[in-house]
Amino acid sequence: MKHNFDIAYIIASLPALLEGLRMTIIVSAISITLAIAIGVGGASVRIFNTPVFSQLARGYVEFVRNTPLLVQIFFIFFGLPALGLKLSVFWSGAVALTVWGGAYNIENIRGGFLSVSKGMREAAEALGIDRLRYLWLIALPLGLRVAIPSVLNTSISVLKNSAYLQAIGLAELTFVAMDKLSLDFRTLEMFAAIGCIYLGLVLSLSWAVRRAEWVLQRPFRTE
Amino acid sequence: MPMALLLDNLGFFLTGLEFTIRLALLTLVCAIGVSLLIGLMSVSQWRALRIAALCYVEFWRDIPLLVNLLFIYFGAPLVGVPLKPFTAALLSLTLWGGANGAEIVRGGINAIGRHQFVSATALGLKRWQIYRYVVLPQALMPILPPMTGLCTTLVQATSLASLLGVNEFFRIAQIVVERTTMQSGHSPAFLIYGFALLVYFAICSALTWLSRYFEQRLQKTGHSAIAAPRGFKESA
Repeated sequence: MKHNFDIAYIIASLPALLEGLRMTIIVSAISITLAIAIGVGGASVRIFNTPVFSQLARGYVEFVRNTPLLVQIFFIFFGLPALGLKLSVFWSGAVALTVWGGAYNIENIRGGFLSVSKGMREAAEALGIDRLRYLWLIALPLGLRVAIPSVLNTSISVLKNSAYLQAIGLAELTFVAMDKLSLDFRTLEMFAAIGCIYLGLVLSLSWAVRRAEWVLQRPFRTE
Repeated sequence: MPMALLLDNLGFFLTGLEFTIRLALLTLVCAIGVSLLIGLMSVSQWRALRIAALCYVEFWRDIPLLVNLLFIYFGAPLVGVPLKPFTAALLSLTLWGGANGAEIVRGGINAIGRHQFVSATALGLKRWQIYRYVVLPQALMPILPPMTGLCTTLVQATSLASLLGVNEFFRIAQIVVERTTMQSGHSPAFLIYGFALLVYFAICSALTWLSRYFEQRLQKTGHSAIAAPRGFKESA
């Protein structure tokens, strides 16, 4: 079989691919936002050593980081209905990515909080600032500055790993591409197209990470 | 009843586990080779080699591993070499693991002081001798903790091979779920996938523990471990 690279085919399938891309972006955006919220919450209970919650957060991080995401997705989609928790494909995917990204973000943000010097904490206590205010006024502005690059890297991973959701049938970018592949057998064209889309997304986001690092460090540069 | 289901399929699960471990070990060996090659290229004195290494690393790390895997499996027949699912998975994980490992090796080599190169040159060592006798032996200790971390990630990533139909551990779990659902009418997914999570957890946390042990030993000698490359722990 002669196989010519057919640009016209890519252009013709662009509307379907963009539809998939939209799904990829929606599910990633939801998961990234919720994962950051989990990260802030989990990191807070960890640094204050809140009894029970701190241990729970620690166990959660250990468990998620030491198990494959694909198995977690299957467990949530196929396994949780046994407990009466029946989620749609979309929400199973969003929950799986959130739970996974959240575990990494707890560690990222905890690292940021730990970088805030101990003196700050003691000073806040001496001034009678309660824990919530300390978190909001001191730990977050200072710690998040340190944590943001790694949080953004985790977010990029969430975006990349949304491709795993094709395994449970979410119609995101990879799923759409594989679907078209099984109809038309235009392997090279399809992979070139989605490869470029993912590469473009990830490279522009990592550019944003470097940019964010630069902006965030501005107050601390000498010149 | 639930325990009986696990016990009945124990032998079946073990064959899957054997596949998983074999795939992970083979990948690890090949990936370390690629890591070393690309890592050395990225600190080379020739610009062209450095750029080639950079492109390699960025390309494999920025495309989702799953897309990379499917691309190799479905793309290989186009160049006239259809691959078996196992080989495709091995190749894909090796290329990807090699890209992540190369960053670790590069970090390890960069952590060695510039003066060591200068002194070694002054002593009349040739470039390959500097790497062989001075740089690599010292770089080994700091790259050990993140390399063990990479090993954990690779074990997790082998689960993706199930999507190509490789009979590794997770694929076996899927088969058991499907078969039992068909026979008994209700799905044991919660139990079986929960069990799969626990097995992966046992293997990976042992490796994580090992990685921390290496790190502590390293700190005792006064060194600090090099940072893992950005986003790498989160890759699988």
